[in-house]
Amino acid sequence: MTVFKAFLKVLLKYKGTIILYSMILIIFGAINMSTSDNNVNFEDSKPDVLIVNSDKGNKISDNLVKYISDNSNINNDLKGENEINDALFYRNINYVIYIPKGYGNDIMSGKNPEIDIKSTGDYQASLAEMILKRYIQMQNVYKMNESSEDEFIKLINNNLSKDVNIEVTSKLDTTKLFNASTYFSFASYSIMAVIIFIVCLVLSSFKEKNVNKRTIVSSMNYKKYNNGLLLASFGYSFILWVFFIILGIIMLGDIMFKSRGLVYMLNSFVFTFCCLTIALFISTLVTNKNAVNGIVNVVSLGSSFLCGAFVPAAWLPNSVLTFAHILPTYWYINSNDLLKTMEVIDFTSLQPIFINMLVVLGFSILFIILNNIVSKYKHNAI
Amino acid sequence: MFWHNFKYSLKVLFKSKALIFWTFAFPILLGIFFNIAFSDIENSEKLDIIDIAIVKSDEFNKNIIFKEAFEGLSKGNDKLFDITYTNLNKAQKLLEDDKITGYLVFDDDINIVVSSSGINETILKYVVNEISSNETMINTLIKKDINNEIKKGNYNINYEKIYADAYKLVSKDTAKINNISNKNLSYTMIEYYTLIAMTCLYGGLLSMYIVNLKLANMNSVGKRTAISPIHRGKMLVSSLLASYVVQLTCLAILFIFTIFVLKVDYGNNLPLIMLLALVGSFAGLSLGVIVATLIKTNENAKTGILIAITMLGCFLSGMMGITMKYIVDTNVPLVNMINPASMITDGFYALYYYSTLDRFIFDIVSLLVFSFVIILISYFGLRRQRYDSI
Repeated sequence: MTVFKAFLKVLLKYKGTIILYSMILIIFGAINMSTSDNNVNFEDSKPDVLIVNSDKGNKISDNLVKYISDNSNINNDLKGENEINDALFYRNINYVIYIPKGYGNDIMSGKNPEIDIKSTGDYQASLAEMILKRYIQMQNVYKMNESSEDEFIKLINNNLSKDVNIEVTSKLDTTKLFNASTYFSFASYSIMAVIIFIVCLVLSSFKEKNVNKRTIVSSMNYKKYNNGLLLASFGYSFILWVFFIILGIIMLGDIMFKSRGLVYMLNSFVFTFCCLTIALFISTLVTNKNAVNGIVNVVSLGSSFLCGAFVPAAWLPNSVLTFAHILPTYWYINSNDLLKTMEVIDFTSLQPIFINMLVVLGFSILFIILNNIVSKYKHNAI
Repeated sequence: MFWHNFKYSLKVLFKSKALIFWTFAFPILLGIFFNIAFSDIENSEKLDIIDIAIVKSDEFNKNIIFKEAFEGLSKGNDKLFDITYTNLNKAQKLLEDDKITGYLVFDDDINIVVSSSGINETILKYVVNEISSNETMINTLIKKDINNEIKKGNYNINYEKIYADAYKLVSKDTAKINNISNKNLSYTMIEYYTLIAMTCLYGGLLSMYIVNLKLANMNSVGKRTAISPIHRGKMLVSSLLASYVVQLTCLAILFIFTIFVLKVDYGNNLPLIMLLALVGSFAGLSLGVIVATLIKTNENAKTGILIAITMLGCFLSGMMGITMKYIVDTNVPLVNMINPASMITDGFYALYYYSTLDRFIFDIVSLLVFSFVIILISYFGLRRQRYDSI
């Protein structure tokens, strides 16, 4: 109990750091979740298009604008070329269509006027281009046969109004699942950084040379001492995990109370435990408080970037992913990604996730063994 | 005395391991991480070949327009689809295993079956719609042509030729589209620009460290300096110059690394890039000075505050998500106007993306104003600081 109390006492000394770190991570996590929607989730399959119509009032040009508007999200708030260029660069819009002056008249007089566009060149922009091309193509075919403007527009709109049957088989709420997976994957960074940072700082106070020597000569059994430290660090990690779960429930809602949510929780718990063993190993290895700061950043940022906590794993180069197999975060995030698309949750479908958890536990055992080896070596060196 | 102090300040700075890690090694490490994470991201956003399946049936075989259209779309270098022709059960299995985006069933009507909604699914639907409207167009054209022939009194109609002409007319790509967008559209560059901004501002750690050594309320070196008969201003300037030199050295290394190893594109105007780096570093230096002089607390807390300011600035200028900068720029432009990290990032962005220099000059001037205001405030905070006892 003495050790436990001492741990808490030192921990409380760092409460400012813990709060600051957690707050920053929470804000980053929350914003990452809300802004990454347009980057990753393909739910919204209408491209963002801006139309600069210099031929307003002409029926043919207006019909083109109407068709594009029906098939895309129109953004017409931007003023001036600079704002348009900025929006294009930051992918706020995917495609800009400039309808030249006299476009409608040119069409009716049998010409095929050129249309200027600006494009980001990504998926959405390709879709926008398909939409535009389809219309122009149709215009070019029909104009050869119709002389009246209204007839011509009617013919085009009749053709465009037909829609093919599409059947969606999946019953999953992809947006919610996507958010849950993003949250838990991003949390891998938060969990890892805060646990390693705090556990290493607190334990380094215990391992300070003079304190350590006094502890060794005291009457306290070293096993009891070590167990106390372990228990306290575990308690701290557990509370942190509960905190992140509560935060998850607040942000994600009812999905957390379903069987899928429980698997997310279990998965993150196993990962939290693994982070604790890494923290204990690092604290044995390094006792300099200044160095801890650097190591935390390198380890946590490194594994987050390599394993897909910030950028979805599907978008990372294969060579990076192959390398990432040697890091526990990879297996944790892989489970989150699997959970995102899993249709039914039952024992057989969950098997790959259980295997991932076992791998993470394997890593934990490895770090415990390494920790013992290093501490034994260091103990002998005193 | 000036150069004596300068020399020893340099030595002190280069020997501080923690400072060297944060200003030299950390940005490079972060750069490597960015490179790993973002190297493929823009490619994966481009339209890729979509895997689909078509359920073989008599209806499909009879539907020549669709059959030919899909054959055309699944061959060549710029093909859109990889098509598996199979039976219904296998198609369902493929969809279940996520091997295909969706499959098509031809009976009286055309049905698309997909597992969820998404961009590939939308494109598939779109293409089917397009082919079906081509079909309508061909039929309209044929009907018209036949009527024309009949009107002309020609009853010996060559149906095949009419069909072939209509098909050719519809499938010929006649849309004239001229892409006038800027070629420099790689938005991941912003990440590296924020990295440079972060390094510039982390330079504040160096200036703060060296100013702390001159403050009597911080440590005993400061006390000794305070009672020595040396002009304080001169000493501060020489120390700050040393920290500036160290800062520029680490920036130069970072630039070389990002340009030659990570292949970051800063635009083509090297003198302006250097100017921005010099001015940006100066802003970082002044930030360090103000934190050191105005905030009365211990060194660790000062470091924490400086890092927090820097990271917040970088966050708002897009380091943790590029859209953040755009959101702030368009909704609360004032925030990024007083945020040095954003001014630096925006300066590089202006050089990379804009052909005119207005925006770049605005950024440089803002940075200079920012730095001088801050230095002035620190100066008034620091002058006439005397201790009778401490």
